[in-house]
Amino acid sequence: MSIRDLKGPGRWWALAGCLIWLAFTLFPLYWAVITSFKSPLGVVGGPTYIPFVDFDPSLTAWSELLSGARGQFYATFIASTIIGLSASLLATFIGAMAAYALVRFTFEVKLLSAVIFVVIAFGGFLFGRHMLGLGQAISLIYAFVAALALAIGSSRIRLPGPILGNDDIVFWFVSQRMFPPIVAAFALYLMYTEMGKMGFKLVDTYTGLTFAYVAFSLPIVIWLMRDFFAALPVEVEEAAMVDNVPTWRIFFGIVLPMSKPGLIATFMITLAFVWNEFLFALFLTNSKWQTLPILVAGQNSQRGDEWWAISAAALVAIIPMIVMAGILSRLMRSGLLLGAIK
Amino acid sequence: MTRQDPIKHFFIWPALLIVLVISIFPLIYSLTTSFMSLRLVPPIPARFVGFGNYTELLQNPRFWHVAWTTTIIAVISVALQYVIGFSVALALNRRVPGEGLFRVSFLLPMLVAPVAVALIARQLLNPTMGPLNEVMTFFGLPNLPFLTETRWAIGAIISVEVWQWTPFVILMLLAGLQTLPDDVYEAAALENASPWQQFTGITFPMMLPISAAVVFIRLIESYKIIDTVFVMTGGGPGISTETLTLFAYQEGFKKFNLGYTSALSFLFLIVITVIGLVYLAILKPYLEKHR
Repeated sequence: MSIRDLKGPGRWWALAGCLIWLAFTLFPLYWAVITSFKSPLGVVGGPTYIPFVDFDPSLTAWSELLSGARGQFYATFIASTIIGLSASLLATFIGAMAAYALVRFTFEVKLLSAVIFVVIAFGGFLFGRHMLGLGQAISLIYAFVAALALAIGSSRIRLPGPILGNDDIVFWFVSQRMFPPIVAAFALYLMYTEMGKMGFKLVDTYTGLTFAYVAFSLPIVIWLMRDFFAALPVEVEEAAMVDNVPTWRIFFGIVLPMSKPGLIATFMITLAFVWNEFLFALFLTNSKWQTLPILVAGQNSQRGDEWWAISAAALVAIIPMIVMAGILSRLMRSGLLLGAIK
Repeated sequence: MTRQDPIKHFFIWPALLIVLVISIFPLIYSLTTSFMSLRLVPPIPARFVGFGNYTELLQNPRFWHVAWTTTIIAVISVALQYVIGFSVALALNRRVPGEGLFRVSFLLPMLVAPVAVALIARQLLNPTMGPLNEVMTFFGLPNLPFLTETRWAIGAIISVEVWQWTPFVILMLLAGLQTLPDDVYEAAALENASPWQQFTGITFPMMLPISAAVVFIRLIESYKIIDTVFVMTGGGPGISTETLTLFAYQEGFKKFNLGYTSALSFLFLIVITVIGLVYLAILKPYLEKHR
């Protein structure tokens, strides 16, 4: 019994509110489940709610789906799983490292170096594209390398102008999330096509899609993990530093285990984002590495009002996430409890 | 306090490089195209038009209409998500009976693909075969054209957004609530502070930083809404539920008007940046006060 537990009538009001929200949350999912077991006639005849009472369940939709009559289902499912897991693991890991660095270490980037980077990248691209007549990808790669080299080089020498700190770098990361994804998706498609012409096939490959997903998840990972790391007590790390424990061991041995709830929450959010993402998958894949949302959306345009098939397809995209949520919330609760005891 | 250590470069460069590579190309590509007249269908050679695309857009009433619709959907749905999400998170934090079950099931919607949600919502809101209108008939209310009349269509989109994204607010606020120290509440209970006083005096101010972050993320994300609208109404009736991304999609990938689309996305970016800056400027004094 904690001081924060509800007592008296407030407890029952809270319960009532939660129950109403539970009904609102679960009804659409319940509807999708029962609809997937309806026969074509059962759908057209108007809404029905309870299997065996209202309507006779039928396995039409599921047998069609699992027998592969509606597109290459297993391949899509496996592709979605591989991309989702690896992209969100990578993004959480790389993002957590960056977030930790941004919380604990001092970074100073001269504004002028950043300006040099942008100017050289833009100028080099335009120069290569229009003056030298190079391809888009080639001029972009040259411009990028030159801009990066010059920016790093210029940060070594004494430059006038304001200095950007950690908060500005975090802001830069997060602001990448603001960019409307539709243009990024199309521009990425063009870039990948150009790379394909040079021999690096990226469209419809594992590498291409995973890379895009990692990059687009990183800002949110850094933003979330920074808050979790900032809340950790710095004394533990300081004690370890006094004992001369190297920084990488402090991070992997102390900081990561302590921030397990945060890591799991962040991983969950990233995985849900990658699993359900529609726009990038639409542009960057066409057959082999197509993901489930594309397949589900395809069901809509191909099948129109065939609700039983659409519901079954939607459920295949939904169920793995629900199973994962169950497992992870269990993990998270034990992790959170551990954190509270320590 | 931050410190100096050469290992920091090893920690930050992977993330920095990946984001740099993948963000700079779209930026360069679309900023340069936004000053050109460039169409893929029919293929016209690129022509420099300066701010032509921008002035054309700003004079287009459709742009303002679309921006307004997106704002309405984003602001109302995020406000509802925050209020409902905070209440639910508070209840869960206070160990309402059945909290374990609630905790798992409340997070479900966030994990469902927006495409799938929109397909299910279409079924539920269907005027003849859907359950919602049958319930309305049962209570003697008129049947409503949920997806074909502007107001109801926007309402339907907002409900779907609230259904899908309130869990995100719950998840983040619950994580925040669990880091609040118990002793403050014990002290407040000794002083006989009412639950409402405890909320306004302790919980809300201490949750302000994480609240600000959550609302900010949701607001930015809501402005990008496309899949739900695309499947549910397709922007209709007419263009009355069209959002900014959907407008860009129509211009860019139906008409392949790349210059115009790039200009639109930059205006979109400016709109979002302005909203973000205004939001932060309004919140800053409060955030600093409670630090």
